[in-house]
Order: sequence, then structure tokens, then C-alpha cells
Amino acid sequence: MAAQVGAVNTASTRMLILYDDADIAHDLCQLLSPLTSLNVQKLVVTEEFRVDLNEPLPLVLLVLRKQPTQSLTPLTQLVLEHQTQVLLVSPEWETLTQLQAQFPLQIAWPWGQQFLVSWLQQRLKLHEAEENIERLWQTLAWHTARVEREHQLVEHIFENALSRNFLEYPRVNTYLTPMSKFNGDLCLISPGPLGNLYMLMADFTGHGLAPATGALPLSQAFFAMADRGVSVAEMVTEFNYRMSRLLPNDMFCAAILLELSANGERVNYWNGGMPAALLINEQGEVIRRLKPAHVALGVMDDEEFDSRVTSFRAPSGSSIAMFTDGVIELLGHQHQFLGAEALETLLSTYPSPEDFPQIVEELERFRGETPLHDDLSLAILSCLPTKLVQATPEHDQLVIPFQLESVLGPDYLKQLDPVAQIMTTISQLPYLSRHRTTIYLFLAEAFNNALEHGLLGLDSELKQDADGFSKYYELRQERLQQLTEGSIRIMLAFDASRKEVMIQVSDSGEGSPQYERVTDFSDKAYGRGLELLRQMTTDLSWDHATRTVSFKYGL
Amino acid sequence: MPLHRQFANEGKELIIAIKGRFDFNLVQEFRQAYSDVGDMQPTVFIDLRETEYLDSSALGMLLNMRKALGSSVKGIHIINCRPEVRSILDISRFDKLFVIE
Repeated sequence: MAAQVGAVNTASTRMLILYDDADIAHDLCQLLSPLTSLNVQKLVVTEEFRVDLNEPLPLVLLVLRKQPTQSLTPLTQLVLEHQTQVLLVSPEWETLTQLQAQFPLQIAWPWGQQFLVSWLQQRLKLHEAEENIERLWQTLAWHTARVEREHQLVEHIFENALSRNFLEYPRVNTYLTPMSKFNGDLCLISPGPLGNLYMLMADFTGHGLAPATGALPLSQAFFAMADRGVSVAEMVTEFNYRMSRLLPNDMFCAAILLELSANGERVNYWNGGMPAALLINEQGEVIRRLKPAHVALGVMDDEEFDSRVTSFRAPSGSSIAMFTDGVIELLGHQHQFLGAEALETLLSTYPSPEDFPQIVEELERFRGETPLHDDLSLAILSCLPTKLVQATPEHDQLVIPFQLESVLGPDYLKQLDPVAQIMTTISQLPYLSRHRTTIYLFLAEAFNNALEHGLLGLDSELKQDADGFSKYYELRQERLQQLTEGSIRIMLAFDASRKEVMIQVSDSGEGSPQYERVTDFSDKAYGRGLELLRQMTTDLSWDHATRTVSFKYGL
Repeated sequence: MPLHRQFANEGKELIIAIKGRFDFNLVQEFRQAYSDVGDMQPTVFIDLRETEYLDSSALGMLLNMRKALGSSVKGIHIINCRPEVRSILDISRFDKLFVIE
């Protein structure tokens, strides 16, 4: 930022001496020489005199012994058009009297010398002050324009950063009013990937641009984590991590984060320093208070931070009202605060989402014309099934068919997790991506069967009880480490026209991979993998000769 | 941390969240997670919101948990399942053994 303020202008003030008497003009120059900030020019009054007006000419000393024959109109024009001060200096009373009307400021030479000097000193001071004011005005105007521009930029950034905010979600009503251009309160809404809904209401200390700046990283973390469907505890841990590093020591961020499950029944929340949100049933009774159990974000270190959430079941048709203290401390037109009790009464009077405009109206009536002294945020969420269903984008997208085959010897089997690696490779592909959990399950079942039973000769009977279950996997690890020969072949083919995946897994072992056994569907802790394959895939077959299991799955 | 364990509501709820892959690699850790449920007879919530992959060993682990906990807990809920996970649980008829939300 260029420093414009404080540059003191020491430029001199221009003054012209127009004279018909060179002696007086000379004496005047002598007299005025101590006034160093005067830039004096001398000019003889001739037939026609011209004055250079490229620079402002605030002062003219007109030194006349006798009334000049030529016209003085150019001079009177100057007075009129450029606010030039003209002072008539003359040793002749007659001249002074004759020109009284045209030039009322007069000095009788040489008697008025002292007066002239002090008058000029005053003029110079005044002139300097005027110039300073002018400069300050310009600086101020420059800064105003700059701040305006910067505000526009920041507003633009905010708009973009919050463009994802799902404030128009029909199950939430909001009344968000910043005190100034930028809001130190934050109300964020985002759907999660499971049809769940996240809501964050935050209140940074202070208001205006500084706290609003903290809203940027907070909102970015919020939306990114909501997309991933992260738990409330993990979200607030991340928020606190960011805020504690970002905010200065005297600034923090009170926040309540809540998550409503897709069926609209289960609520998880974490409240750090925000007023207790209210769970209100259809009859308008407050049935639960979501009190702050923690300190605000940005206060605690990572180690001290407590991310414990509270959860409850919300009765159908109930609603959760969240608000910042700006609402409780809303100043009314009769200079009284609204208060928590009155707010609660108001919310209880209008429990139905349709009545939200009434709440806003009452709040505004209470406030009247009183200016806000804090940002206001009120949001009410209806606890109903969220009806947020994730879109499944791909329809008849054209994709390439492919086939992937991998033969894995003991070294790979020991050191790698082949199924996980294959999934990393294919889970980004169209169609397959949406079915990655299922495809993983199939590959894992077929691969584990081949490895555990085919190559390692483990017996699932061991998995009967919990201890055996653990023992089984210890044994798996043990035998795998001793494995010196044998291999497993995994083949996955994607038929793009039929949108079908074919999977084959073969092993070089001798053990029985269980496909020939019949497993009944009791609550045994094993045998389920095979049953899942049977139920979910088509053309499931086991070729004993090649020790290959093969099946298909339509996407 | 693939497994996150936390008590909520003054010990009345135990939440176990599994992130990424739920399989036999978590055998010990998962057993550990429900080894001490306190004496409040809590409700256990298995939060699968971030479980991307699971296989039959995970199903086995859930069944073992159910056996081990018996009446020391009020119930076991499996919550926040992604649609694919949900259908795997349904096919295995876990809805008869657990509360699936």
C-alpha cells in the first residue's frame, strides 16, 4: 500500500508583484525576503500584461504610483475566476481612493509595511492549511476508493467460498443479519453423502472483516468434510486445529455443529461456547437444551481439545433452534435487551416452520429502528427425514472395456495387500466406482478363500468362537510368513456393453477352498463370505481342475 | 486412525467408528474397543459412515461382538451405512440381529 498520508508539502506559495514603480517593488522584495515560503515574481505593468495561470496564483501585489492607463480587467478576472487575492500598494492617497472599488484591500506605502508582512504571514498559514486539507481530502478519497475496491474483492471471495452453502434447504429457516458488510457469524449447511445433513453455526469474537476472514478456512473445511461424511467429533477436531493456528490469542470462535441423520431422528452435536440450542416439539415445548459442553474453537491445543459429542433422538416434527448471542442481546427500540427467556417464549409461540416469518417479524418489531450492535443469526431445523438422496450421475456413459490380471507369488502375497491395490486402481473408473464396496467384497472373499484355504490350509471351523477367530487370523499371519511357494491369480474383466464385471481367482494350492461345501445360514462367525457371493453374484462356479472360482456381477 | 471409540451422553452410549477398510486387520483393535463398556449398560453404535470396504471377516467380528456383549449393553446399532454396505448387511440378514439405521 502506497503511503500517501503524512507527506508534508513544503512547496512555496506563488505571488506576483505587478508594478509601475521599480523602487517600491524592489523595497517590497527586500521586505518580504524573510517569508521564505513565498515564491515572488516581479512583472512590470505594461500595455498588456499576461499572467501565467498554469500554476495557481493565490496572491498578487499591485504596486501602482498612479492609476494605470491600460485596463486592469485581466486582474479583476483573476480575482473572480481564480480566487486570487489582490492587494493594492501605493504611496499615493489619490490612487488608493480611485481604485478603492476595484481593489478594496489596500496598503498605504510605506506606512502599512508591518501590516502587510503580518497579513501575508496569515495568508501563508491559511494557504498552507488549505493545501493540507486538500491533500488529506485526496488521500482520504484515495483510501475510500481502495477500501471500497478491497471490500468488493473480499465480498466476491466470500460469495465464492460460500456458494456451496445450502441455505435454501427447505427444512431449515434462517434469519441472518450482519451488523456491517461482513458477517462475524457463520451459518453453514451441507448435505452429507449418506443423506445426512450437517449444520454449523459459528460466532467469531468481534464483528466486521477480521472475524469474517476466519470464516473462509472454517467453511472450506466444513464443506470438504461434509462431502466425505466425516463424524461430528472429527470435524470439530479439525476446525479447532485450524482455528487455534489461525486466530490471534484474543480471538476465538464459538460454534455448534450438528448432524441430522437421513431418517431425521438421530442428532449428534458438539457445542463449544454457543448459547444452548433448543429442541422444541410440535406443541412448542422446549424438550431439550443443547448446552455448550466445551469451550470455543481456537482456544485449546490439540491435546487438550475435547471432541466428545452428545447425541439424542429427536421426536418426529420437532425442530432445533440455533442462534448466536446477538439474538439474545438484541437491543430493542426501548433500549432493553430481548433476553433468553423472551426469545424462548417467541420460539415456543411459533413452533411450526410455516410460522417462521412471524418470528422474524416479531424480532424486527422489537428492534424497531435501533441499530444492530452485533451480528444476528437464527436458524431453525426441522427434524424430519432429510430427503437428501445422492444423485447417481452416470447413465449411458460410454466407457472402455478392460481386463486386468495379476499372478502373485509368495513375496507379493507376504508384503502386499493385493485386493486393496487393485481397488485403488479401479475404484476411480466410471460404473466401478459406485460399486467399489461390493467389488471389494467379492475380490476379498475370493482372494482370502484362495489364500487362507487354498495356500495356507486354514480351517474355518477354528472361527467358531471369538478366541478362535483371533487365533485363526494369527495363524494366517504366521503361515503366510512361512509361505515359500504357490501363487494366486486374480482376473477382473469389465464388459462395457453389458455393464458387467467378471472375476476369476485361482490358486496353486491343495487345500479345500470351501466352494464345494454347503454352509447353512446360522449366526456362525464364518461361511458368510461364500453365502454373500452366492446371493449377490451370477454364474458362480468352482472348477476343481484349474482351482478357479469364477462369477459375474451386473453393475 | 481406522478405528475411533468414544463414549457419549455420560457413558450411556458407546460409539465405535470405523474408517476406510473394516476387515480382519482390525481384529484386536475392534475387540479392544468393546472390551470395557462400563456399567451403564450403554447402547453401542457402530458408525460405518466412513467405512468404504468390508468383507465377511468384518461381519464375523460384529457377530463376535454381539455374542460377547450379550446383555451388558442395551443394544447394538449399526448406523450411517452407505447404500452398498447396507445391502451387504441386509443380504447377511444382520437386520435381524442388529438395529440398522
